[in-house]
Amino acid sequence: MRLKGHFLNPNDAVYEDIALQTVVNHKGDFLNLLKQANYPLKTALPSETAQHATDIEIAHSTTVVAVLYRDGVMVAGDRRATAGTSIIYDRAEKVLQIDRHSVLAISGSPAIAYEIARVLEHSFQYFRRSQLQELSLEGKLRMLSRLIRDNLSMALQGIGGVIPIFALYDLNADEDDNGGKIFFYDGLGAHFENVDFATTGSGSVWIRGVLRYLSRFGDTPLSEMDQQQAAITILRLLDIASEYDAATSGYNAKVNIFPNVKVVTRSGVDTISDDDLAIWYAEAQPEQT
Amino acid sequence: MRDEPYRWIEAIQDRRDYIEDQLRPGSPVVGITYNEGMLLLTIGKGQRKIFEVHDRIALSAIGHPADIERLRMLVTDTASVQGFQNATEDVNLHRLTNYVLAHTFKQAFESIVGEAYIIKMLLAELGSTPEKNLFTAINFDGIVRTDTKFAVIGGTEVIETGMQNYLANAPADADTDLTAAIRLSLETWAVGKGLSTREPEETDLEETQMDTTQMYEVVDAAREDGEIQAGVLKITQQGTSKFRLLNSQEVEAALK
Repeated sequence: MRLKGHFLNPNDAVYEDIALQTVVNHKGDFLNLLKQANYPLKTALPSETAQHATDIEIAHSTTVVAVLYRDGVMVAGDRRATAGTSIIYDRAEKVLQIDRHSVLAISGSPAIAYEIARVLEHSFQYFRRSQLQELSLEGKLRMLSRLIRDNLSMALQGIGGVIPIFALYDLNADEDDNGGKIFFYDGLGAHFENVDFATTGSGSVWIRGVLRYLSRFGDTPLSEMDQQQAAITILRLLDIASEYDAATSGYNAKVNIFPNVKVVTRSGVDTISDDDLAIWYAEAQPEQT
Repeated sequence: MRDEPYRWIEAIQDRRDYIEDQLRPGSPVVGITYNEGMLLLTIGKGQRKIFEVHDRIALSAIGHPADIERLRMLVTDTASVQGFQNATEDVNLHRLTNYVLAHTFKQAFESIVGEAYIIKMLLAELGSTPEKNLFTAINFDGIVRTDTKFAVIGGTEVIETGMQNYLANAPADADTDLTAAIRLSLETWAVGKGLSTREPEETDLEETQMDTTQMYEVVDAAREDGEIQAGVLKITQQGTSKFRLLNSQEVEAALK
């Protein structure tokens, strides 16, 4: 039976039928539940819009970066949102907590990226609440793959592409091991695990090589850095990206806007405070001579 | 049958008696507030009885496991869709109780040719301040009771009255810590369990007053083939979801 448009009307006679069907067919699939409630998950554009897609200015471009450090994963993103050559917002949040042990760093179309993050967050919660267990690591990765793949038509039209980094902590890892994991996605939804680091967005090309150098030849490899060392490294990298990429901001000294920096460890997701970032940012700068 | 009012009323009464008989041996559930939020506690045998519904809403129930599961999913699905379509702050217990659950309970109970739900449900909603905490208890016939400080569900009205009296005489308040809240809940549970073993016609609560030692004897006996289940809605819990099941070490620590 296809149920349409009645889900939120408890006075309707089909309400109980929905409950019955939901229990019988229940797999903890939040997207399926939204379809039953007639929530439009895909945005279909009229063809004339697609033809003129290149004329539309969509805010995108950014730099987000994730590194595996001693206690887990540190994820950071600059705060700038642009449309063409205009800076339209300088306090954008690009590192989003999805659940207690996962974080999504977004680059690409903000509208789609935020919606993907929201669906992802609600999907994980719904699975936990309905199935009485956390969604597995593989299940979380596939859910994000599915959302990115479902967005393919928007990406192909050049107005809604999203390339995120997904960082999480695997609680099944041994206590002595680092359970931090970083996954990179392509536009079709394929995911690849990055062992040491991942970066995406328009500014990422300027720092990818530096990350590889630090990871392989640095005095302290990324994976052995403590939280402060990793944060200073990431702040410096975002500063470098901002020097070469107009769509990336570093630290804005005039109004004290710092990048978003979150850590994902066995104890959960934590946000590095602006106070800590201010101290570490000062240490990140070379001494003036 | 609806054309013959007497037969309909008789059928409803039979149905009420039948459901109450089924619910009487059920393990009571206690909900109280404490200094960091709200606690739901019961002692169960295998099946989980305390659930997360939404960011600030938790649920527990007594009754038939199939009915509990069906109605748990109904309220979880509804809250999840509402929270996504609007905002999570727009999901509230008042609406879920009055426009979704109570209506469903009543309809099933009074549709005497269909199956009734054998269930009593207790829900808790963590408010932005302790004064805004809310408990709702829903009877199998759809009648709703609300309270801001504590609430209980038990197999019969006598059991619930006994438990409420005990809590009223030793109320948990904003200063009660989790350890004290667990102990008070277990004592209240023991009062309810003690009353559930009596014959239905014994309604005198005075005769069944237990001292604390006897209460913990009842708890210990129940733990031989069951386990304490407790969940909290904790205001300081990191993230949007405030619900957390307590692990056995946390419960054991409260019993020392």
